[in-house]
Amino acid sequence: MKKYRAHLLVCAGTGCVSCNSFKIKEALEQEIQKRKLQNEVLVIATGCNGFCERGPILLVQPDGIFYQRLTVEDVPHLVEEHLLKGRPVKKLMYVPPAEKEPVPKMKDIEFFKHQRLIVLRNRGRIDPEKVEEYIAFDGYEALAKALTKMTPEEIVSEISASGLRGRGGAGFPTGKKWDIGRQAKKTPKYLICNGDEGDPGAFMDRSVLEADPHTVLEGMVIGAKAIGAEKGFIYIRHEYPLAVHRMDIAISQAKEYGLLGKNILDTGFHFDVEVVQGAGAFVSGEETALIASVEGRIAMPRQRPPYPAQKGYAGMPTVINNVETWATVPNIIRRGAAWFAGLGTETSKGTKIFSLVGKINNTGLVEVPMGITLRDIVYGIGGGIPEGREFKAVQIGGPSGGCLPSSKLDLTIDYESLTAAGAIMGSGGMIVMDDKTCMVDIAKYFLNFLRDESCGKCVSCREGTQRMWEIVKKISDGRGEESDLDLLEELAQAVKDSSMCGLGQTAANPVLSTLKYFRKEYEYHIKRKKCPALVCKEIVSSPCHYICPIGQEASTYIAHVAQGNYKEAFDIIMKDNPLPSVCARVCSHPCEKACRAGESGQPISIRAIKRFVMDWAAKNNVRYEPEPVKQGLERVAVIGSGPAGLTAAYYLARKGFCPTIYEALPVAGGMLSVGIPDHRLPRSVVAKDIEEIKAAGVEIRTNMVLGKDFTLDKLFKDGYKAVFCATGAGQSLAMGIPGEDSQGVHHSLEYLLDVNLGKKVPIGKKVCIVGGGNSAIDAARAALRQKECEKVSIFYRRTKAEMPALAEEVDAAIEEGIDIQFLVAPVKVLTKNGRAVAIECVRMRLGDKDASGRRKPIPIEGSNFVYKLDILILAISERPDTSYIGEGDEVQRHGENIITDPELATTTRPGIFAGGDAVTGPNTVVEAMAAGKLAADSIEKYIRGLPMEHDYRLTRPSVYAGPTEMTPEEAAKARRPKTPHLSLARRRKNFKEVELGLTERMACDEARRCLRCDLETEDGKNSLGAKK
Amino acid sequence: MIQLKMNGLEIQAEEGWTLLEAARFYGLEIPTLCHNDGLTEFGGCRLCLVEIGEGPRSKLVSSCTYPVEEGLVVHTDTARVVRARRMMLELMLSTAPGSKKLQDLASKYGLTHQRFKPRDEECVYCGLCVRICEEQMDARAIGFQNRGNKRKISTPFDARSEVCRLCGACMYICPACQLRCQGPAAETDICNACLTMEPTCLEEYGELQCWMYDAGRCGTCVQEKRK
Repeated sequence: MKKYRAHLLVCAGTGCVSCNSFKIKEALEQEIQKRKLQNEVLVIATGCNGFCERGPILLVQPDGIFYQRLTVEDVPHLVEEHLLKGRPVKKLMYVPPAEKEPVPKMKDIEFFKHQRLIVLRNRGRIDPEKVEEYIAFDGYEALAKALTKMTPEEIVSEISASGLRGRGGAGFPTGKKWDIGRQAKKTPKYLICNGDEGDPGAFMDRSVLEADPHTVLEGMVIGAKAIGAEKGFIYIRHEYPLAVHRMDIAISQAKEYGLLGKNILDTGFHFDVEVVQGAGAFVSGEETALIASVEGRIAMPRQRPPYPAQKGYAGMPTVINNVETWATVPNIIRRGAAWFAGLGTETSKGTKIFSLVGKINNTGLVEVPMGITLRDIVYGIGGGIPEGREFKAVQIGGPSGGCLPSSKLDLTIDYESLTAAGAIMGSGGMIVMDDKTCMVDIAKYFLNFLRDESCGKCVSCREGTQRMWEIVKKISDGRGEESDLDLLEELAQAVKDSSMCGLGQTAANPVLSTLKYFRKEYEYHIKRKKCPALVCKEIVSSPCHYICPIGQEASTYIAHVAQGNYKEAFDIIMKDNPLPSVCARVCSHPCEKACRAGESGQPISIRAIKRFVMDWAAKNNVRYEPEPVKQGLERVAVIGSGPAGLTAAYYLARKGFCPTIYEALPVAGGMLSVGIPDHRLPRSVVAKDIEEIKAAGVEIRTNMVLGKDFTLDKLFKDGYKAVFCATGAGQSLAMGIPGEDSQGVHHSLEYLLDVNLGKKVPIGKKVCIVGGGNSAIDAARAALRQKECEKVSIFYRRTKAEMPALAEEVDAAIEEGIDIQFLVAPVKVLTKNGRAVAIECVRMRLGDKDASGRRKPIPIEGSNFVYKLDILILAISERPDTSYIGEGDEVQRHGENIITDPELATTTRPGIFAGGDAVTGPNTVVEAMAAGKLAADSIEKYIRGLPMEHDYRLTRPSVYAGPTEMTPEEAAKARRPKTPHLSLARRRKNFKEVELGLTERMACDEARRCLRCDLETEDGKNSLGAKK
Repeated sequence: MIQLKMNGLEIQAEEGWTLLEAARFYGLEIPTLCHNDGLTEFGGCRLCLVEIGEGPRSKLVSSCTYPVEEGLVVHTDTARVVRARRMMLELMLSTAPGSKKLQDLASKYGLTHQRFKPRDEECVYCGLCVRICEEQMDARAIGFQNRGNKRKISTPFDARSEVCRLCGACMYICPACQLRCQGPAAETDICNACLTMEPTCLEEYGELQCWMYDAGRCGTCVQEKRK
């Protein structure tokens, strides 16, 4: 035999073939010819390696170097470097997620390291089209042993002793099945290999058939000898052409070598095999349906008993096993039952192949010992969830399997434990889902598959899956009723109980398991008309609109802007937002985070479009003129004139009440006026929005402090029907480090208040700020604008990714020259004569996630350093100050936070409502406005004596604006615009507004980029139809 | 002979009998729809479900297809069986609300509400017509098409069949496309015109106790149907 110094093993499984691995092989061969290496290096096409996500894969032996995601262009470089110069090419190697260094050798890669290969032992190492290579790796040794040294009884008892159970899913003991087949009197007997793999996301049978067809053949001949069969069928899906092709080759090669057909190995034993191609019905995987299909009839299951081992193909005893089961047999015969039984758990022996797909870093095929935990598979071999998202569930066992939640991650995998948890082993499909997956949608998906794939014989399965799908679809469409869940559960139970075959008996599993572990999600869809994962289209409509706390119809005004209808856009904005100019500048824009355009590119710049509309209206003196409302006599008091108070008062006035806002400070606006500096939100802008609110019928009384100038009880005595407490969170929190009370240490809120009220704050040359929120950045940028200040530094204990401040603000701060030091935490303030002069800090590193979902910073010992400064500003956090509430007020609090019913904004005392930061602690402007809006609704219900219930509605735009066309060239060029900023020079040492807003051209182009998700609902589609 | 236990009775059955045949031989009534004495068994309507085995491993099987087995324990009318039958009736009635046979069975099994949106297809896909055409008329003019929710019964390629003799056997045997009883509630999803009484034993003991099988059953313990 000719010897080569290197073997290049190119993966030729379907996955890699689909990424052009055959072309890679050709290119390698050509390159090797060109370099005259053909006598030293051999290129071999092998079966699937399993790590399909990284295809095309090349393994260089004997070094074991693993190359991945190759392209034809990489080949010359690779051959030259690795094969001529002996330098493996690092940039083509596998780099684990979240790491930087490549892992050169296959055996060191996490994905391969924890696997135990028995069935797949030849994967990626032999050419599946050459029987000689199979034989060279001990192939057909077991066949020789079984045919020459063992009696049928011995073979059966060996298989029984090994504890092997059917790998098709049900887990029936293989030895027992063979024994029934062996003892059956009638002849001829048959064998069938079940390769009808129909589960979405499962490809283990295909991989085995493609990578090692001879091992399946060998298993079948051994089985034939044990049972006394002379004829076998291999049933392969028509959709697996490569598997069929390789099996055909394997059969003819085996026959040539006398390993199959007449008089095998001269022992006088005959066994022949035929490949039958299935037409792709999922139900054909059920053994009685499969037999019907082989016989040429409709694949409809029939009653068992009689079992196929007694009465199967053509009414004769027939033993059916799955591909994986047959492929396990030669290993057991060759290495002995005791060896196999030593692997796995008490009841489930050996290994199992799983196809690991979905939201997982390492997609592919893995063979693991039974008894491994789900966590080891998902996080060990699978490398966890991509993009650092949360694991939500794993669907095991294909469509009729079940979804297991994170609480089941430590479940050990065996037949019994999976069934007990509500899933099944099935053929071994494992679909991993992250937190962006909606479980109702998943149930709907699988039911849709099953209602299509039910054979249609049993009422329970045919009509049951159809009706279950209808109910789940109704829920997913936001039309669900509470009685639906009971009906769904009752029906699911009946389907499971009443159906004849395995498909029907497990068809309810997607429903039953999601109901068991994710019932809350169903209830959320039904009761609140919400889909937390933003998946169910009919509920979400457009995610920007859906996610907006105050329900701004972003997609609608964007569409109006795209068409140049700015007045319409303006009216849409004004309808739901009394502080539009403020929001257009400082909103945390959750809409842009949810925007679908952001999933595969950049989200629409929604806030900037709103800013454009507001600027246009201001420039053209366009005013919002809603239907006039007659204000009645019922008075409502609103405490606090921040965004929550202003919003509540505005909508109360719009509902016909007489609201009065009491504000403690001399100016209205709360944090908007005194917490955010002018360069980000000019006073004049706030004042303008407040003027409009006043014009709607709101009275504002400043310099009125609750608890000092008036009390809650007095308000009711004065005739107010209800009170809304929106007193904010203005109490700065201390850090708890020595020296923080000394002179020269400020809190960001007090500092910003002074700056905004025009007071002089001596700031010195060197300012240091501790914290990572918007208030830290605001304070830093304000300080930098003061004349005497020369350098501003921010110390933050986590990294940029964890920073709560808006990303664009952080970038702007860095641009202005603010020095942000990450992973630094202060330890103590150093003082001289009672005045802060420096700060001692420690460096941090990130540990595991804490309760907030962010990675917890941990101090690095001995990394302390001292930083000199003139002024220290602490921007840690704030809490509400609700000390105005006394015992007799009967308003319950949690610490300083007022306790409310989140659906109604009611407190424990009827007539008193609360919202905003006073309830939640420091939060965003838009969340506070949402609380104000909610309070206005509830106060109306309270005063008018209506039922105190929250109305949940589907997200729908008030009007459907038509779509705008975009040519493919325009679409290819369209990009999210960069908002123009005032130049650095022009914003030095002044408080001029930095953001300038988009031009008309930019705004329209950006608006046209919108995907118009709202038009994808049924209503949206109908509106399009109506327009045509 | 094969010994087995049915509803607590020790019974004997001949090898090759189905549970349905054994039950009927002993006068135990089991409702059927897709079963016909002259045709091969199908097992599609699931009305003849019975519970076999005991304890947590007991399961429901269709008695028309399940062969008698030595020592098998069978219950024909447990609460679980009745619950499943009711659901099957409700499902079938949702696609063939006009069937008198189904309406009568609904009355008999205490099915009073239709919770699925009716979709009148005048068919429950029981396959009686397909089987009578093939097995008794020797024609094979009609057959099943497609699977799952797209299943239908038709001639090959939906074309006029050359082997069909228009004998009408398919219509004769159909339980779904017959004319509905024009009783007092002829237009409702479930008429329940014949439903008046229900036995108490099903609730009390989890299983029917008498075998007289008529509307109102044995008549000694019946109570007024609760609304």
